[in-house]
Amino acid sequence: MAASTDVRRRLFVTLIGFGALTFAVMLVAPLAGSTPIHLSRVFERSIPFADNVDAQVFFVARLPRVIAAALVGAGLALSGVVFQGLLRNPLASPDTLGVAAGATLGAMLALTAHADFTLLGISVVPLTSFAGTLGALAIVMAISLARRRGTSSTVLLLAGIAIGALLSAAGRFIQYFADVTDTFKTVQWLLGSLDVGSYAPILASLVPFGIACIGFCMLPRVLDLISLGEDAAEARGVDVVRMERIALVSASLSTGAAVSLGGPVYFVGIIVPHIVRLIVGADHRLVLPASALFGASFLIVCDLIARTIIAPVEMPVGIITAIIGGPFFLWLLFRGR
Amino acid sequence: MLQATDVSFAYGRGTRVVDGVSLTAPRGSIVGLIGPNGSGKTTLLRMLNGTLRPAAGDVRLEGVPLAAMSRIAIARRIAVVPQETRVTFDFTVLEIVLMGRYAHLGAFALEGAGDVSIARKALAATGTSALEARQFATLSGGEKQRVIVASALAQSSEVLLLDEPTTALDIGFQFEIASLLASLNREHGTTMVVSTHDLNLAAMLCTDLVLLKAGRVLATGPTRDVLTPDNIRRLYDVDADVTFHSRAGHLTVVPIGRVD
Amino acid sequence: MSAGLRARGLGLILGLALSLEPVALAQAKRVISVIPSTTEMLFAMGAGDRVIAIGTYDKFPPEAQKLPRVGALVDPNVERILQMRPDLVVVYDTQTELKRRLERANIPYYSYSHQGLGDIFSTIRSLSMRVGVAPAGEALASRLEREIAGIRAKVAGRPRPSTLVVMGREPGSLRNVYASGGVGFLHDMLEAAGGSDSLGDIHRQSVDVSNEMVLARAPEVIIELRYTNEAINAADLDVWNRLPAVPAVRNHRVIVLTGDEFVVPGPRVADAIEKIARAVHPEAFK
Repeated sequence: MAASTDVRRRLFVTLIGFGALTFAVMLVAPLAGSTPIHLSRVFERSIPFADNVDAQVFFVARLPRVIAAALVGAGLALSGVVFQGLLRNPLASPDTLGVAAGATLGAMLALTAHADFTLLGISVVPLTSFAGTLGALAIVMAISLARRRGTSSTVLLLAGIAIGALLSAAGRFIQYFADVTDTFKTVQWLLGSLDVGSYAPILASLVPFGIACIGFCMLPRVLDLISLGEDAAEARGVDVVRMERIALVSASLSTGAAVSLGGPVYFVGIIVPHIVRLIVGADHRLVLPASALFGASFLIVCDLIARTIIAPVEMPVGIITAIIGGPFFLWLLFRGR
Repeated sequence: MLQATDVSFAYGRGTRVVDGVSLTAPRGSIVGLIGPNGSGKTTLLRMLNGTLRPAAGDVRLEGVPLAAMSRIAIARRIAVVPQETRVTFDFTVLEIVLMGRYAHLGAFALEGAGDVSIARKALAATGTSALEARQFATLSGGEKQRVIVASALAQSSEVLLLDEPTTALDIGFQFEIASLLASLNREHGTTMVVSTHDLNLAAMLCTDLVLLKAGRVLATGPTRDVLTPDNIRRLYDVDADVTFHSRAGHLTVVPIGRVD
Repeated sequence: MSAGLRARGLGLILGLALSLEPVALAQAKRVISVIPSTTEMLFAMGAGDRVIAIGTYDKFPPEAQKLPRVGALVDPNVERILQMRPDLVVVYDTQTELKRRLERANIPYYSYSHQGLGDIFSTIRSLSMRVGVAPAGEALASRLEREIAGIRAKVAGRPRPSTLVVMGREPGSLRNVYASGGVGFLHDMLEAAGGSDSLGDIHRQSVDVSNEMVLARAPEVIIELRYTNEAINAADLDVWNRLPAVPAVRNHRVIVLTGDEFVVPGPRVADAIEKIARAVHPEAFK
C-alpha cells in the first residue's frame, strides 16, 4: 500500500471506486426482484398510476426499499466507524452505547401499547423508536458531561453498556408482559425490515441523518488522533472533549434514524468498517466516506438477496448480513496478511 | 519560556498529587524532572502542556497563560512524547508521524509534500526511516518509542515535553535519543522538559534539574548543584556516588545500595 | 359415510390415543387448562365448574375470568399448578418440561396439539371423554360441525376470491405485515368460508408479506384481523391505498374483523368462519 504521501490520490481513488459501486448497485437493485417487471411499463405515462402494477412495484415496493437500505446501511456503517474510534475499540458497534437499545424500547412501547398515530406521514413506531434514541442519548450525554477531565472513555463505554443493558431489559420486560399477538409483532420488528413502502419516513430520516453528517464531516482526522489516546490527541491539538461530544451525538442520531427506519440491523455497523479498513487502511479520512458508501451498497445487496433468494417468501435482512458479512470478512482477513 | 507557578492538582478528592510546584524552563534549556514513582512527574507534565488544568496556580508560555490559549495553538508550540502509546488501528509508521502535523494543518487540510518531508526528516532523526511503511502495531517496544518521538518532532514545536523517553530502549538507542535531543536543542533551540528515572541521562542531557518528591519540589537548580549524593538519598533512599567523568564530559551517578 | 360421521369416528380413535387412562373410567373434577382454546372448550361443554385454574391469555368466557391464572406456553407456574392438586392438566404438546414435572408428581395430563380445523372437533371429543362429559362434548362438536357445514353450503358453487388474511402489521404502515399461509387454522377457516388463500402455495402458518408480494399476489379481498376491541383508526386503513393496483384496494374490499376468536381454535370457530364468510361472500348472506 502506497504511503500516505498521496493521501489526496488515495482519497480520490477511494471515493471514485466506492462511489461507482454504490451507484451501480442503486441502479440495478430496484430493477431486480421476485416479481418480473418491465421498465418500459414502469415509465409508461399512458397508464394511470393506480392501474400500473409494474410502476407500483418499482416506485412503492422497491425504490423506497433501496433508498432506505442505502440510508440505513450508510448510517449504521458511519456510526460504527465513529463508535469504534471514539471508544478506541474495534469491537464497538452502533449498539454499544445503549442508544440503539433506546430505539428498540421505543418501538416495543408503541407496539404493545397499541399506539396508533401518524405525524407528517410517519407512523408511530419509527417515531417512538427515534424518541427512544433521543432519550438514551440524553442519558449518555448527561453521563458524558459529568465526566471529569482526565477520565478515559472507559467510563463512557461502561456507562453506555450499563444503560444499554438496562434499556434492553426494559424492552424485554415490556415484550414479556405483552399480549401474545403483540409479542409476535415485536419479534417481527426485531428482525428488521427495510420494506418501508413510502417516502415519508425516508424524508423524515434525512433530518437526523443530515445533522449527523454535519458532525461526521468534522471527524475524520480527529478520529485518527483520538484513536491514539485522549491525551495524545490533546497534545497534538485536538479539542478532545468537544470532538467526542460531537462524535457521540452524530453517531447516536445516525444510529437512531437508521434503527427507526429499518429496525435493528447492527451487524452492518461492525463488519463494514472492518472490511473497509482492510481495503483502504486505517486513515479515517478514507474509512469514513468509504464506509458510508460500502455500507449502503452492502445493505442494498443483502436486502436484494433477502427478498429474492427463497422467493416467494423473504428472509429477514439481518440474517443475510450475517451470513454474507462474516465469511467475506474472514476471506479478506486471510487474503491480506 | 515555559513557566509553572505554584501549581497543584488532585485526582478526585484525594491528596494532592502535585502540591505547590514551581518550574521554569528558560528558552533553550533542557530541564530534567527527577523523582521516584508516584511523585507526580507525569501529572506535572500534563499540566505543562495544558492537558490538565491545575487546581491552583497557573502555567504560562512566554507569559501567556495556557488556559487562555486554544488547544491547537498550544500544540503548535508544545509537543509531548508520552510514556506509552497504544494504537488501536493498523496505522503505518508514516501515518502516525504525519498525525503530528495536525497542529499546523487542522482537521480539514490534507498533508502536502512539505509535511511529508518534515515527517520523513523526523523518522531519519530517530533512525526509523526503514520502518516507514510498517504497521506500527508490529514494531518492537524500542522501535515504537522512537517512532513516537518522531511523531512529536514532526509537530515542529519550540517546546518538547518527554515522559521517560528512554525507558524501553537499549543503551545504544538511549544514546541515540539523547544525542538527538541534544542536537535538536543545539540547532533549533528547542526547549525541553524531560522526566526520567535515568540519572545518568539527566546528567548528560539536562542543564537544570527539578527534584520532585511526593508532589513537592525537593530541590531545583543547575544540574551540577542539584545532583548530589545527599539529594539522591533524600529522593530515593539510595546511597550513590556522583562524580565527574572526564571522558564522558559530565557527571555520572553510580548507585551503591539502599539506605534504610 | 358422511364427513361428519367420519370425523366423529376419527375423533373417538384420537381420543383413545391421546388420553392416559381407559376411556370408560375417565373422570376429572379438578382441571387446569393453560390453553385458551381448551379453556373455552371445557366451559362450552358444561365442564366449567370443574376448571380450577386457567392460563394467562384465556380471555373467554366471562365466567372464567375470575379464576386464578397459572401461566401459559412459555412460563407455566409449575409450583402453583402442583400446589392446587389438579387431577388433570391440559398442556401444550411442546411443554415437555411441564409434562415431566407432572409425571413425577403423578398428575395426569392431556397433551394438546393443533394443526388445522379438524383438530378442534377431535380435541373436543377426546377432551370431553377424558374429563367425563362425553355426551356434552359430542353435542358441542356435532353442533359446530353442522354450523360449519351450513356455512360451506351457503357459499358452495360461488367463485372463490383470492384472499389475503393479515394477522398483523405495524400500525400506520405496511411494514412487517404477516399473513396466514397455506397451512394452519386460519387457512382452513378461510377455505371453509369459501375463500381462496392468496398465499396458499406457501406451506407456512405465518408469512412475512412485503409490499411487492401483495402487488404480485393481487388478492381480491384483504381481511385484517384485530384482536382487541379498540376503536379502529380509519386513517390506519388508508395505508393500503399506497397499492392501488391491488384488486382488493381498488374495489374497496379491505375488511377489518375484530375479536380473538380468530386466533383461538375453539368453540367459537363457527362464529369466526361465518364472519370471514360474510366478508368474502357478502351477497350470500343477504
